[in-house]
Amino acid sequence: MSETDGAPSTSNRTPAAHAGLSDPATTVFSAAQLTEVRRLQSLYPDPRGALLPVLYMAQETFGWISLEVEEYVAGLFSLSPAHVHEVVTFYTLYFRERPGRHVVSVCHNLSCHLAGAPGIIAHLKRRLGVDPGETTEDGRVTLLSVECLCACEAAPMMQVDDRYELNLTPTTVDRILEGLA
Amino acid sequence: MPKLTVNGKEVEVPAGTNLIEAARSAGVEVPHYCYHPGLSIAGQCRLCMVDIEKTPRPTIACNTVAADGMVVLTETDRVRETRKSIMEFHLINHPLDCPVCDQAGECWLQIYYMKYGLYDPRMTDEKVHKPKAVPLGPHVILDAERCILCSRCVRFCDEITGTGELGIFERGDHSEIGLFPGAELDNKYSGNVVDICPVGALTDRDFRFQVRVWYLETAKSVCPGCARGCNIEVHVNRRRPHHAEGRRVARLKPRFNADVNQWWICDAGRYGFGSVDAKDRLLVPTRRDGETTSDATWDEAIAAVAAAVRRFPPDEVGVIASPRMSNEDLVALRRLLDICTIQRVAFGVPPRVPGDEDDILIRADKSPNAQGAELMGLAGDARAILGAACGRRLKCLWIFGHDLLASAWPEAEVREALDGAEMVIFTGTNSNPTSERAHWVLPAAAWVERDGTYTNFEGRVQRFRQAVEPLGQALAEWEMLGRVLAALGEAPSATRAEHWFRRLATAGPSFAGLSYQALGDTGRLVAGSVAARAPR
Repeated sequence: MSETDGAPSTSNRTPAAHAGLSDPATTVFSAAQLTEVRRLQSLYPDPRGALLPVLYMAQETFGWISLEVEEYVAGLFSLSPAHVHEVVTFYTLYFRERPGRHVVSVCHNLSCHLAGAPGIIAHLKRRLGVDPGETTEDGRVTLLSVECLCACEAAPMMQVDDRYELNLTPTTVDRILEGLA
Repeated sequence: MPKLTVNGKEVEVPAGTNLIEAARSAGVEVPHYCYHPGLSIAGQCRLCMVDIEKTPRPTIACNTVAADGMVVLTETDRVRETRKSIMEFHLINHPLDCPVCDQAGECWLQIYYMKYGLYDPRMTDEKVHKPKAVPLGPHVILDAERCILCSRCVRFCDEITGTGELGIFERGDHSEIGLFPGAELDNKYSGNVVDICPVGALTDRDFRFQVRVWYLETAKSVCPGCARGCNIEVHVNRRRPHHAEGRRVARLKPRFNADVNQWWICDAGRYGFGSVDAKDRLLVPTRRDGETTSDATWDEAIAAVAAAVRRFPPDEVGVIASPRMSNEDLVALRRLLDICTIQRVAFGVPPRVPGDEDDILIRADKSPNAQGAELMGLAGDARAILGAACGRRLKCLWIFGHDLLASAWPEAEVREALDGAEMVIFTGTNSNPTSERAHWVLPAAAWVERDGTYTNFEGRVQRFRQAVEPLGQALAEWEMLGRVLAALGEAPSATRAEHWFRRLATAGPSFAGLSYQALGDTGRLVAGSVAARAPR
């Protein structure tokens, strides 16, 4: 793994480097969400099996997985916070820092690489002024460099929030960036 | 019970036994890192691969249950080759820092590399770097680069203490052991993770860099820290006295006893040996006359004590024995009390702060031998003895070990009692405010400096053995009491602690039939006691 790729979850190996802390007072699920937590937990022989979906719920609700969120979720599972931290740090799709309003994930895997991903990444870095794994100062965009997203036929490509952007060129990248508020 | 053969040797093992333990019972060692008999199976290190007849590939022994008719081979070419490759994997990012690693000499990477590795390293790339010398808590320090991720420490905190402080964070070759950010490894048993760490990742802050382990000598012993009587090994440094600022006891390690402490000891016991080499040790007999204190010879001290117990009528003599004395000391004291017909005796002094207790090992009673003192009829009302001294009805007060001024009793009352008695004798290992007020101070050998036995809370009599010489002129209590008895005209008979134990074994029903040989390394219950539930 090189220094330049990096989802936020691996960009800072020391958890103490969390960008900020979410407000503990608001780190709490609604009654309906708690019902959903119980339902998910009942689906598995060991309730702990529901940890991943509940962490996704938490990420959707609170925006990212802060240490407070880890502790809150640990409480819902009667787990030690260290064991929730294990799971959050293992996966790359949990944000351990507050991401920007938009998340741009550029594929750097083989097909995209051959089709010009390094140039696309360099262009994005220049335009946004950040390295992969970082968020622009205005909090607009988080740039990530990721592994294959299964769209090799349209390389080079990237994912912008929930949308695939295919057959990228610097020009199309500029147009896409302009559309991000 | 399944019968199987391991390397051609037939063994029968209880149902459910795994292949590591089955091989052990056949005298065959299967190398392993993550497996620990006291913890759940992780199957993580992959080193315990063995060949089982009719299986297509080597299998991990730790997670394979012995079955009837199984043919297990631990030394086939395929197994050797597998082990060697796994060793290479384990060591691929491991720093070559054995010369500065505290684990060197008792490191299972070193041991197994020499036994099963011996390959030429092929790793030419830069190794992955991780945090080094990270204090995890008051006792344990982490070097994440040395860790092989066996997860024993994680499972210990999950399964034994139930505190769950540790986890394995990140993934792949970035995985590392750690604490939840901001947390500390500060449970009452944290030192055990150092014992079970097979490599130099977790080391003891207290022991680190004090002395190389190959200079240590060991003696089997029993922890005197509470009434549990955990079995321990005392590791002493006699060969490099210039190391560790002259401290002789380097560390205490748990010693397996299935019925008492299994593999563990608590931190209070593990790190509680500081008094042995402390500056306040009592080294020579001393006499105090008013404000002046002077050294005396043992002959003078023994003569003075013998004269006192002879001079004062028995009901004017009070003895506060100690539940920290061994059975041998207590039976010698019992003998002295009997021939002098001294009735006022007790051993229980309430501590100012009640002892903590849990359902793992720690007992509220912080003395190792209250049960022994009880069985020898030394239980009495210590407060009444104090009261008698205050009321000047008691002329001679002999205190063993206790610092009465640090007890739950009002200080003023203790002071009055100590001032009220004409003759205060103190016997103990270390000086304290009580010993400073005694007229005679007799220095006692610490438990690591002598042989003896303790009777734990459930009545288990266990031996502890001498590891170092007594400091200064200190003597075991049985020895000084024997000299007092001789001065009173009793024919000397005991030259070793064991002699007193023999007398104890013939004196009454409780210890009948016991001998040092019968006690062995793990002890025996006194007659009539029922073993308590084994610790979990």
